[in-house]
Amino acid sequence: MRTRAILGSALAAFGLLAIGWEIGAAAGAGPATTATTSSGGTTDSGSSSPPTTSGSGSGSGTASGGSSTTATTPTTTDGTYTGGVARTRFGDVQVQVTISGGQISDVTALHLTDAESRSVQISNRAAPILRQEVLDAQSTNVQMVGGATYTSDGYLSSLQSALDQAGWPS
Amino acid sequence: MSATIPQLAAPPVKRIPASLDVDRTRRLRRRRLASDLLVIAFWASGAVAASLYLASGGMADWTSLGGVITGLGILAGLIGSDFVLVMLVLAARVPALDATIGHDRAMALHRRLGKPALYLLLGHGLLLLVGYALTAQLDLVSQFVQLWELPDMPLAFLSIALFVAVVVTSLVAVRRRFPYEFWYVIHLLSYVAVLTALPHQLSVGSVLADGTVQRGYWIGLYLVAGATILVFRVLEPLIQSARHGMRVERIEWIAPDVASLHLSGRRLDRLGARGGQYFFWRFWSARTWWHAHPISLSAEPTRSRARVTVRVLGAGTGRVTSVAPGTRVTFSGPFGLFTDAARTSPRLAVVAAGIGVTPVRALLESGDLAPGEATILLRGSTDDALFLADEVRDLALRRGAHFYLSTGPRGRSGGWLSQSDRNRGVTLRSAFPDLASSDLYICGPQDWTDAVLLEAHAAGVPDDRIHVERFDW
Repeated sequence: MRTRAILGSALAAFGLLAIGWEIGAAAGAGPATTATTSSGGTTDSGSSSPPTTSGSGSGSGTASGGSSTTATTPTTTDGTYTGGVARTRFGDVQVQVTISGGQISDVTALHLTDAESRSVQISNRAAPILRQEVLDAQSTNVQMVGGATYTSDGYLSSLQSALDQAGWPS
Repeated sequence: MSATIPQLAAPPVKRIPASLDVDRTRRLRRRRLASDLLVIAFWASGAVAASLYLASGGMADWTSLGGVITGLGILAGLIGSDFVLVMLVLAARVPALDATIGHDRAMALHRRLGKPALYLLLGHGLLLLVGYALTAQLDLVSQFVQLWELPDMPLAFLSIALFVAVVVTSLVAVRRRFPYEFWYVIHLLSYVAVLTALPHQLSVGSVLADGTVQRGYWIGLYLVAGATILVFRVLEPLIQSARHGMRVERIEWIAPDVASLHLSGRRLDRLGARGGQYFFWRFWSARTWWHAHPISLSAEPTRSRARVTVRVLGAGTGRVTSVAPGTRVTFSGPFGLFTDAARTSPRLAVVAAGIGVTPVRALLESGDLAPGEATILLRGSTDDALFLADEVRDLALRRGAHFYLSTGPRGRSGGWLSQSDRNRGVTLRSAFPDLASSDLYICGPQDWTDAVLLEAHAAGVPDDRIHVERFDW
């Protein structure tokens, strides 16, 4: 009888952990992790604060069209694009991306999590790491920064909305 | 008079296959399945806590030493909280749990979980402190200050302090030094500890963020645990007690330190107790209302009367045995598997010491016994310490049970029988020649019970045939 309980427990625990691991691994593979926490915030603020597209290039007008325009014109246009505001529990995150020569050449954080002193500290540490990762990977498909989940989430989702405006292939 | 206990050891008896009736076998099998499922459910709940963390992409943070330590800290907190909630449910006196593993075994499990749960929660705090400090490149002190400044964190620190107090006062060594009442009041604080831990999980805890599956799951767990406590420790006892309207009728002292409380009420024959079960009684006098006592019925209730027998062991039982007649009584129960429902073998061997005789008496009175099926052995250091022995002897005679007494001091060499009986060569096997085909029911004080268990194990009685009722709450 005891054996049945032990085997059953081991099997149940192992199975549940494996399922959790699989789901986590699948979600972690893409930028999908950001979807739950920040997609709502991004769309919200995207409409309230129209994306500024002051760029060196000429084709910046496409940006105001939003995602539908982006979908029909998959070519990337050089310029500077401001992402939507991603709301997190520890404050808003907003970034600006510069595209030049078809490359992501710079990412500037306009606003980072600031609800608590700890948040400011975490964000200030995470932002340069995220910037470098993005420049290296030339996409938002990068590692989250350990201990800075909220900042990473917000940073990457705001960046994605900026890249969408630029017609960056996702 | 009772017969002398045989002193010659019976020849070793081969284990006789249980020739139990079909109903009893089926009930037993169902109970064992249910108890295994409970064990599985417990471990699964811990695994779910960890699994939901993994599913939320928690592993993505395990990229640096600080991240790994932080992750371990979060896991420790989740599993520790899960254990605490399981402990609440175990202590909630759920009738279904009691019928499956018995309330005393549920409480034994509750006690065994206490330290692991505390270590996990302490580990949670320490690991997160170190993990955050490493990530933020701060020293521990300023990191601690920053944690303290996060929303709801002061409450969380209060919570862990309360948990420490609750567990420390429950350690056997510490608990012995203080009266039961002190332990009891501190233990009530565990409810406060659970509640003060909750806010930081929902506000600061990133795993339980708004709109996640985990948040829903954990809020659900808390609601289930809370509802279990509310229903089975508050509502159900109130409703039952109102229905039966019990009061203390009179108190009868049957030994210098033992009193029978005669209770009156309505429809007491419908209390639903099988012989050998106990209730948690609360006597509503100014000095006794605030905590309930687990006491066995010492006689089968009639329509309007019930009887419990109490030995004065401490201040609490002293106050209970001095309440005025007419005092209102509320209760919850019945509890306990010390009934013939737990039997697995054709024969019954019962040993009881001191006040442990009360459930045995009720078991004899209402149990389903065939003549010659049961053997009873009562043990007391003096004749005065043999409470209700005459009543038990009467009942044994009527039910066709063998009845033995072992009186006299146990002597310095220990053991569970009197010194003189042991010198004569009486053993568990000689007193109960059918031990191999018997269920062994043991009821008495802790150290005495342990002595019986030792000999029972040495005699090869399997654990699932031993039924113990501990009298040491």
